[in-house]
This record gives sequence, C-alpha cells and structure tokens, in this order.
Amino acid sequence: MSEPFLSIRDLGRAFGGLKAVDGVSADIARGELVGLIGPNGAGKTTLFNLISGFTPPSSGEVHFKGRRIDGLKPDEIARAGIGRTFQNLRIFPNMSVFDNVSVGAIGAERIGMLSAFTGRRGVSERISQRGLAALQAVKLIDDAEELAANISYGKRKYLEIARALAMQPDLLILDEPAAGLNETETKALADFIASLHADGMTIILVEHDMKLVMSICRRIIVLASGRKIADGTPAEVKADPAVLEAYLGGDDA
Amino acid sequence: MDYYLQQLVIGLSLGMVYALVAIGFTLIFGVLNVVNFAHGEIYTIGAFAGLLLFTSFAPPLAAVILIVLAVGALAGVGLERLAFRPFRRFTDEASLKSRAMREATLMSSLALSIVAREAIELIFGSQFQAVPFKLLLNNPIKLGPVTIVDGDLVILGTSALMLFALQYVLKHTRVGLSIRAVSNNALGARYVGIDTNRTIAWTFAVGSAMGAVAGILVGLYYGAIFPAMGFSPGIKAFVAMVMGGLSSIPGAVVCAMIIGVSEALSTIFVASVWQDLVAYAFLIVTLIFFPRGIFGGVRERV
Amino acid sequence: MSVSDPGRGRSLLWTALLLIVVFAVVPALLASAGRSYLYQVANLIMIFSLLSVSMHLVTGVAGLLQLGHAAFYGVGAYCAALLATHFKLSIGITLPAAGLAAGLVAFLVALPTMRLVSIYFAVATLGIGQMLYVVMLNWVPVTKGPNGILLFGGLQFLGFDLSKPAPAYFFVATVVSVSIYVLHRLSHSYYGNALRALREDDQCADAMGIDTARLKLESFTVSGFFAGVAGALWAHTAGYISPADFNFNVSILILSMVVLGGLGSLPGAIVGAVLLIGLPELLREFKAGDYRNIIIGLVLFGAILFLPKGLIGETSALDLVRRQFGRGRSIPGHEGGVGWK
Repeated sequence: MSEPFLSIRDLGRAFGGLKAVDGVSADIARGELVGLIGPNGAGKTTLFNLISGFTPPSSGEVHFKGRRIDGLKPDEIARAGIGRTFQNLRIFPNMSVFDNVSVGAIGAERIGMLSAFTGRRGVSERISQRGLAALQAVKLIDDAEELAANISYGKRKYLEIARALAMQPDLLILDEPAAGLNETETKALADFIASLHADGMTIILVEHDMKLVMSICRRIIVLASGRKIADGTPAEVKADPAVLEAYLGGDDA
Repeated sequence: MDYYLQQLVIGLSLGMVYALVAIGFTLIFGVLNVVNFAHGEIYTIGAFAGLLLFTSFAPPLAAVILIVLAVGALAGVGLERLAFRPFRRFTDEASLKSRAMREATLMSSLALSIVAREAIELIFGSQFQAVPFKLLLNNPIKLGPVTIVDGDLVILGTSALMLFALQYVLKHTRVGLSIRAVSNNALGARYVGIDTNRTIAWTFAVGSAMGAVAGILVGLYYGAIFPAMGFSPGIKAFVAMVMGGLSSIPGAVVCAMIIGVSEALSTIFVASVWQDLVAYAFLIVTLIFFPRGIFGGVRERV
Repeated sequence: MSVSDPGRGRSLLWTALLLIVVFAVVPALLASAGRSYLYQVANLIMIFSLLSVSMHLVTGVAGLLQLGHAAFYGVGAYCAALLATHFKLSIGITLPAAGLAAGLVAFLVALPTMRLVSIYFAVATLGIGQMLYVVMLNWVPVTKGPNGILLFGGLQFLGFDLSKPAPAYFFVATVVSVSIYVLHRLSHSYYGNALRALREDDQCADAMGIDTARLKLESFTVSGFFAGVAGALWAHTAGYISPADFNFNVSILILSMVVLGGLGSLPGAIVGAVLLIGLPELLREFKAGDYRNIIIGLVLFGAILFLPKGLIGETSALDLVRRQFGRGRSIPGHEGGVGWK
C-alpha cells in the first residue's frame, strides 16, 4: 500500500502529569468519512488540536499527503490542506457572512498586500468565486451581506463549515458540529455531511451525538482516557466490550 | 564607593515609591484583569491633596498621610464608578475578564486620566507648584560615609509600614479575604455570597490609597508637584507589575525595587535624562523574553 | 459584485464629493477668508486625518491597540527635518525618505512584539513610543533636544516653490488624498478582510491558513510608513518641530480620533480627525483654547461609554448602506473602485 492520506503515528500529548492523548495511531485514506467518539475528557479535542497544530505534540508524528506536518504552525497546516471547525462556534461576528467565508479562501490563496491594488482580476476573482461557491454549498447565499452576528445559530454552524470549505481543503475536520442543534437540524446536518462525503471530501467528524455518527460514518474510532480503544465499523464498535466499558464504566468522572 | 552607596539608597526609596504605585496596579489587575491607566493620576491627586492640606492647615506629616490615604481611597472608588463599573454589565467570569472589557476600560480610564490631569492643570497651572521650603524632606543626615536625606527614611519607613498593613488587610480582614477570593475565582466568590461590585470598589480604594500616599511622599521629597507628575511613576509601576508576573504583589514590589535601583545606578554611566529608558527597556525585555514575569509562574497567553 | 452594483455608484459619488470639497470648496473658503493661520489649521486637519487613517489600519482593522503612533510620526518629521536642514533636500526626497525611515522603525519594533496579544501589545507600543520620545528629547546633538528644529527655505517640490499657503495646501491635500486612497484600498479588499479576521479571532484566522504574524508585521509597517509621511508634511508645512509634537498625548489624540469615528471605519477616522482638530480651533476662536485637552478626554470617554461603535462604526455604516439601498446582491468588501463602504 502506498503512503496513506493522513497517518497518525503514536501521537501523544501530556499536560503536566496528565496524558490527554496517549500513543494514538491511525491511518485515514482519501475519501473516508471517519467518526471520532469517546466519553467526555477522552482527548478528542486535544487529538484534533494536535493534528491541526494548535497544540504541539509531546511525542509521535503526523503525516499528511506524504509530508510530515507535526510541529508546523496552524496556518501552515491549514495551507497544507486541512480545514477545521471549532467546537464552540468561532465565526467572525463583526464581518458579513460573505467576508467570513472569504477569509477561508484568502488563507488558502496566501494573498499579499499587492492584491489589494489589482482590483477584480486574478487572485481576488478566485477568492470571490470560492467564497460564493462555498456559500452556495451551504445555502447561505441569500444571507451573504448579513452581519455574521445577526444570523441564526443553526446558520452560523453552516457558516463555519462554509468558511472551512472555501479553503478547498483535502481533509475537513469537524469538531462537534451538531452541538446545540435539535433533532431535525441534526438530521439535516447529517445529510449535508454525507453529501460532502459523497462529493469526495475526506472528513473526520468528532461528535458526541452517537446517532449522527452511527448513521453516516462507515468507520468509527473510539478514544477513552487518551487511548484508542476501538477502530472499526459501527457494528463492530457497538459490539466491542472495551467501548461498552468506557461508556458505562463511569469514565466520565 | 560612597557615591554608589548613596545612589543605592536613593534607588531603594525610589523603588519603594514605585512599589506603592505598583501594588495598586497589581491588586486591580488581580480582580479585573484590566490595566487602570488613571492610576498615575491618583498619585498626582494624592500629591496635590497633601500640598493643599499643608499650605492651608499645616498639620503634622503623619496626619497628612492619613488624610491623603482617605482622599486616594475616595478617588479610587470614584474612578471605578465612572470608568469601570459602567462596562461591567455581566458579572460572569468570562465577560468580567474578557478582551473587549479590557480594551474598553483601558481606554475609558485613559480618557478619565486625561480629564483629571487637564482639570488639575486648569486649576493649578501646568508648572511646578511652590512647595514651602520647610516642608521639603530634604534635610541631610550623615550615616557614616553616606549622606542621605530624611526623605529617604520617611519614604522607606512609610512604605514598609504600608506594605505590612496591606499584608494584614489582605490576610486577616473580611475585605482582604474577599479581594483575594474575587481575584482567584470571581464566580466562585459570588456563589459564596461575596458582593463582587463592592469588593472591586474596595480593591480600587486600597490600591488608590497607597498610590496617593506615594504621590505626596515623592512630592515632598523632590519638591516637584505638577499635573503631569503621575505619568512616569505610573509607567514604571506598570512595568514592575508586568515584570513581577502581573498578579503577584511580592513580585511587583521586588521588581519595583529593581527598577528604582537600576535607575539610580544608571546615572553613574549616563546623564540622568536617559534614566527613563531603563524602565522602558525592562518592559520590552520582559514582554519579549519573560512573558510570565521574571519569576515565572502561571500566566495566560500574552 | 456585479457591475451594476448600486453601492459602487454611491461610493464613487461620495469620493467625488469629498474630492470636490477638499480641492475646491475648502480652498475657496480659505482664500476668501484670507488668513494664513486658517491654512495651517486645514493642513493640520489633513495631516491628522492621515495619521488617524494610518492608525485605523492597525487598530481599527487589524485590532492591534497602538499607543505609540505619534513616535512614528515623529521619526518621519525628524528624518525630513534633518535631511532638509543638513543636506538642503526638498520634500520630493524627504517625504519618501521619512516614510521609509518610519516604516523601517515600525518594522523593527513589530518584529519582536508581534506575538504579544491585546493589552500587552498596547503596552509594548506605549513603551517603545516613549523610548523614541526620550531619544528625540535628549539626543541633543542630533535633534537639538527640547529646542526643536527650524526648517528654513520653505516648501520646494520639483523646482516649484510651494511655500505660499495655497500651494502648500494643495500639496498636502494631494499627498494625503493619495495616501488615504492607498490605505483605503488596503482596508477594503480581501487583504483587509484578512486583517479583520485577525481582529475578530486570530487563532481562528490561523486555522484558515492566514499567516497572522506576517499580516501584523505588514500592517504595522505600512501604518508606520504613512505616519512618517504625515511627519514629513508637518515638518515642511509648519517649519518647526519639537519633541512635544510627538509625545504620548498626541498618540492618545490620534487614538481618540479613531475611537470617536468608530473602530474599523475609515470615514470615521477622518471624521474623528476633523472634529478633534477642528473643534478645539473653533473653541480657540471663542477664547476657550485652554479646554482643548480636557474636551478631548471627555469626548474619548463619552465615545467609549455611549458610542461603542463610534460615530460611523463599521457595522452601523453597513446598516446604513443597507437601509438606503435595500438588500442588493452586492458583496461588501469587494467594490472595485474608490469609495467608502
């Protein structure tokens, strides 16, 4: 087998004496939709931050598209093709919806100061196209001019995804996208994520909502206390005694 | 050699003054995570209040210091009311110490400091005030090979006394305990029934009282009382707070002494007009190389 | 977005109106008043407009609270004054030289301080501004210390004599307009959006692949450059500079302009400059010049407390556009031409 798309090798991170992530390894192939689940405090978000460069790992390596990316700065990792959203919605509230999305495209295009003087040609044109396409994908085009702070909570969720999509990433990492959504909204979000996957996007989905993960992911990785305890299809994971132990054994405390 | 010793004593009393001002900064930063830009003006107000008292009633120095303490405390409470409380619309920890809050109060206190300084200037004029000669703490005292002035002793003595008093207040009084509680965990303090607004007002009162006394002491020591006098010690005290690790009172005091002594000793090498650069250099070096203060310790991302 | 974008037509109209005011109406009024003192006031307003718009780029758009802007203004002014007095150079050379010197100093200052966030950055700029001020005040052999520097020879540009009030006014107006146009293009472009992203949430901007450190460095340097240009204009039009023109109070004055107009709003920064320079001059006419600084303090305080978005806040400006033109399909931040959003 050739070099895997994303390869996490023995990744670890300790905060003081606490090992938040402890020797996790996983390979993810291009085009996969992988769910990452685990009880509270299992290290899901830390693992996420290790991959996206927000927290430097204390051990292990991350390889992406054949390139080693651990130790790079978050913006370098983003430009390498990894887009992410945040657990607690981090949109730019005082910018319009379109301007929010444009930031994703701006980062990927790596524009310089001179681009401000080239008007609509070249890079600015590409950014507009990418931004509009991303807004179209999440059906927010009618709110393009609205201030991001003024749109509904559900729409902001999609805005954050659109902003990551405008980067045209090769890998999209979604951190608890369904948090705070009701059942209908969660269902719609699941369909949307599934359609992104169907269009060829590689996605890692960190989620609390079991039903969402089980319904759309064909592969699920389970973390508990910073370690990977299971990796397989939803059926395999559900039947795994270690998983049951982790969820029912009071690991939440 | 004697000259060095003499400069050392001058530096120590200068450092003590910075320490008194820095304590106010540190206390206020501790409870609110904000920089109070008007703190230097409290120092000026203390100096002017003291001078007015002397020239109108000629009370003994100790009485003046006590009254200036009260004036400083009142000014601090007023400042908090005007420049800080209006922005405190939510009392949860996150918005109490949020970035928007910090920047708004930084600018509101800055604005009030301009208003206070200019108001003093309108009333008294911008030049040095005439300090009656007999009030100056400038009588030489010979200590072996070193000649110091009584002002050095008054400053060192008063400051040391106030530092002990502060320790007592913080450790053994209800007000002190609530100040420490709020600065450790504002939300928790609220849950156990501490009135946050009251505590914050008390913090301003205690911190400003010390700053005001520093003002009158320095005014009498140098004979230099003028509307803009608070700016420079304000900055230096701020530097001491940053060097000390932001919310550590002992750290701020030690760093204030370091700054005071370094400034005094710097005059050995360069003309005294350049001594202001010492504190700014300390500030930049600290911010860049020791973001947690020179003694380390926990601190958020700076 | 589209060419028939109504907002674009409006902004062109505004720009044209502003240019007519600056290049025709004001000079006509000044000429009819016939007092050279009023020309000085007009120049000062324009110079401070440039200062506040250059600070707007760093503080309003990129969200970096800058408390030492006057120092870069001073570096530019001293650079121009020294070149003019020692080497008899005309403003055609001293102006770009002043900009480059101030830009270089800003770059060197920004290099180590860029990773500081929020108030720590603000305090670092204050410290550095004060250091530069102490140098201007005390490096007597070069800066002549508190005595300041007198510039003889008036304003020469490409062999033309611009020392008379009206030509000097037009020269300042041209330089300031071009500079503000450049700053406007920077802040109302995708580049400006990247800066806004820093202001809103720099970690999140990182996650979008934005090189936040580089952007901060660039915006700070450009802002310093234009402050330096403003300094050269001041040195040549006033004919005399001293350290007091560049102290902490001046930094605060510029900050007050930006805050009063509304953080993030470029027209707001100009309005702030016009008000805070113009009003005290008006008061001077009524013999109330002593209250100048106290009024600035009160205005700043009032603006923070009662107008958190300023007179023309960025967001309220957006709302205004929407109310006037309905919900068009134009995409803000992507106007092609000149004009204010």
